[in-house]
Amino acid sequence: MSAETGEGGRVRLERVWQDALDAVRRWARINSPWAVHFNSGSCNGCDIEILATLAPHYDVERLGITLRGTPRHADVLICTGPVTRQARERLRRVYEQMPEPRFVIAVGSCAISGGAFQGCYNIVGHIDEVIPVDVYVPGCPPRPEAIIDGMVKLLERMKEREAHEH
Amino acid sequence: MPERFVIPIGPQHPALKEPGHFEFTVDGETVTGASARLGYAHRGIEKATEARTWVQDLYLLERICGICSHVHATAYALGVERLAGVTAPPRAQAIRVLVGEMERVHSHLLWLGVAAHEAGFETLFMYSWRDRETIMDSLEALTGNRVNYSANLLGGVKFDVDTGQADAIRRGIDFLESRTRIYLDLVTTDEVFLRRTRGIGVMTAAQAETLGVVGPTARASGVARDIRVDAAYAAYPDFPVGITLEQTGDLAARFVVRVKELFESYRLIRTVLDGLPAGDLVAKMPRHVPEGETISRVEAPRGELFYFIRSGGRSRPDRVKVRTPTLCNMASVLTLTIGHQLADVPMILVGVDPCFSCNDRTVVIRDAATGQRWTWARLRQHGIEAYR
Amino acid sequence: MNTEAALERATAIVAAWGPAADHPEPARVDVAVARDDLLAAVGALRTASWGYLSAITGLDLPSRGELEVLYHFCEGAAIVTLRVRLPKGDAAIPSICGVIPSASFFERELGEMFGVTVVGTPDAARLFLPDDWPEGVYPLRKDFTPGGAAGGGEPHA
Repeated sequence: MSAETGEGGRVRLERVWQDALDAVRRWARINSPWAVHFNSGSCNGCDIEILATLAPHYDVERLGITLRGTPRHADVLICTGPVTRQARERLRRVYEQMPEPRFVIAVGSCAISGGAFQGCYNIVGHIDEVIPVDVYVPGCPPRPEAIIDGMVKLLERMKEREAHEH
Repeated sequence: MPERFVIPIGPQHPALKEPGHFEFTVDGETVTGASARLGYAHRGIEKATEARTWVQDLYLLERICGICSHVHATAYALGVERLAGVTAPPRAQAIRVLVGEMERVHSHLLWLGVAAHEAGFETLFMYSWRDRETIMDSLEALTGNRVNYSANLLGGVKFDVDTGQADAIRRGIDFLESRTRIYLDLVTTDEVFLRRTRGIGVMTAAQAETLGVVGPTARASGVARDIRVDAAYAAYPDFPVGITLEQTGDLAARFVVRVKELFESYRLIRTVLDGLPAGDLVAKMPRHVPEGETISRVEAPRGELFYFIRSGGRSRPDRVKVRTPTLCNMASVLTLTIGHQLADVPMILVGVDPCFSCNDRTVVIRDAATGQRWTWARLRQHGIEAYR
Repeated sequence: MNTEAALERATAIVAAWGPAADHPEPARVDVAVARDDLLAAVGALRTASWGYLSAITGLDLPSRGELEVLYHFCEGAAIVTLRVRLPKGDAAIPSICGVIPSASFFERELGEMFGVTVVGTPDAARLFLPDDWPEGVYPLRKDFTPGGAAGGGEPHA
């Protein structure tokens, strides 16, 4: 394996080795995406269905998905809610604490459009007004199968290409 | 001067899935002060009701909370019907009770799992949430949705119960009842579990009265408050509820009350299915709701839910005030944690079955000396390790 | 004690400060009380162990230039509501936390939503409204329209 030291001291490998390493990294990320969950002010309906995907009946861990306690260990942010004013900055901060590449799944009608709460004085209304979103899972709430479908679509997307730069 | 630590637990909760803010002041290991700051799930719903029609508000209010959606809609529908001088037909009222008790079952099982998770008891979380799928299936088969059943109309309910559905529900309840016996055994005899719950967070009946707590939290302290009994609504006069009381007022009692209430809910579900009155599902509502004010109180899984509804005789309500049970019970958490060890805080908080979207909070503990901040995950882990 | 008897008992307890009791629904009695008599009336209910404070409701009555604060006490199915009218220009009311400590959350909500100054309330910090909510803007007053201060679109027609 030949390498050369490039700008900033970064080691640049021969193309074939770089590609191989990238493939391993992608495989690891897709086969075991670690997720962090954030509720930006939802009624909790979506959140309990997300939690249900972790329970034995739906068992989303078969896909390698596991919920972590901190964004610093997460590949994927699963978020719900119409983004209340109080939650907005926290949402942004949680997202920024995630290492790149990072992906976002917005679960529920509220996360997409504000849902039933459009026009309420304390909401921003769309998660994608605060952070970029990769997958939207509509529903009020979406059933666990739909949430898992959203996760699978994200994994397929991750396979196809690297996430757009955030 | 003793060191004071104040530890923050951010709006992002791996366990509770809901954002909120408490601030605990800690002296070494002992909690010396507590305050709460809510607002992370505050959407502005009461104001929004004034900009929507009476019917639209039904769909808004049932989304205050994804766990107790039906009971919100029921309280509102009953209130509006009363203003309009309309009584929903007996079959509709019975179906409201049926769905309400099925909701209580899903809610109590959900809580059991979440509370177990807070104690580090992952197995119980997995079992209870697996078993909970049985009632979720029943709710979905009956109402068409797992969450947000949307059973209520102004004037009645949207759907009927046929014999096939009734039999399926009965089979599900039989299964859940056998599982719940295991849970009761667990919360009353498992020593590891009891070490984290027995004698913790004790609230006497007198304290419960002063602190204004409601629901299972109050009943665990021997305070006999249950709106289904005190002010029976919908079809509860025809299907009376036996109140569930414990006397020790500690965390263990709060677990026992909710598990025992599951049995009462199973009994009620069977009784309603066996005794569903014949008749219509909806009564005709007038085009406009006459002027007036009404108060509607129902027993949500967490306690008394209070609605004040005011009509100015127009197409939209003048005022809808919603006081959720968790707001009453939250105050007690602040008082109960003082004097306790930090390790007990997560369990005391979860012991009142806080519904964050009905009210919202985060837990903050600040380290005054070092400026260090804890996460909720760390506090939870601290609790688990302290009892190992 | 049945509901009607409970209501009669409560009416008698507060009669000194609220002689005019209204019976709007079978299980409800409303008693208008002057601001200065609120503490005495609440104290009397507490001393007689009549019911518990279940909620505090605020109302904006723009046609009268007044706010109204409702204290709802419940005993079984019986509900007694003490009603206090406040001029908007002088919307202050004494805190009842000295008698009923659990009223704190209710009083905080009343203050931030309606701009009622609850005098002597132990914690006047915001409860539900966000940190950056503008001062002097009270969302549940009728003159506040969403869409101005915060985000969100139009409600469905």
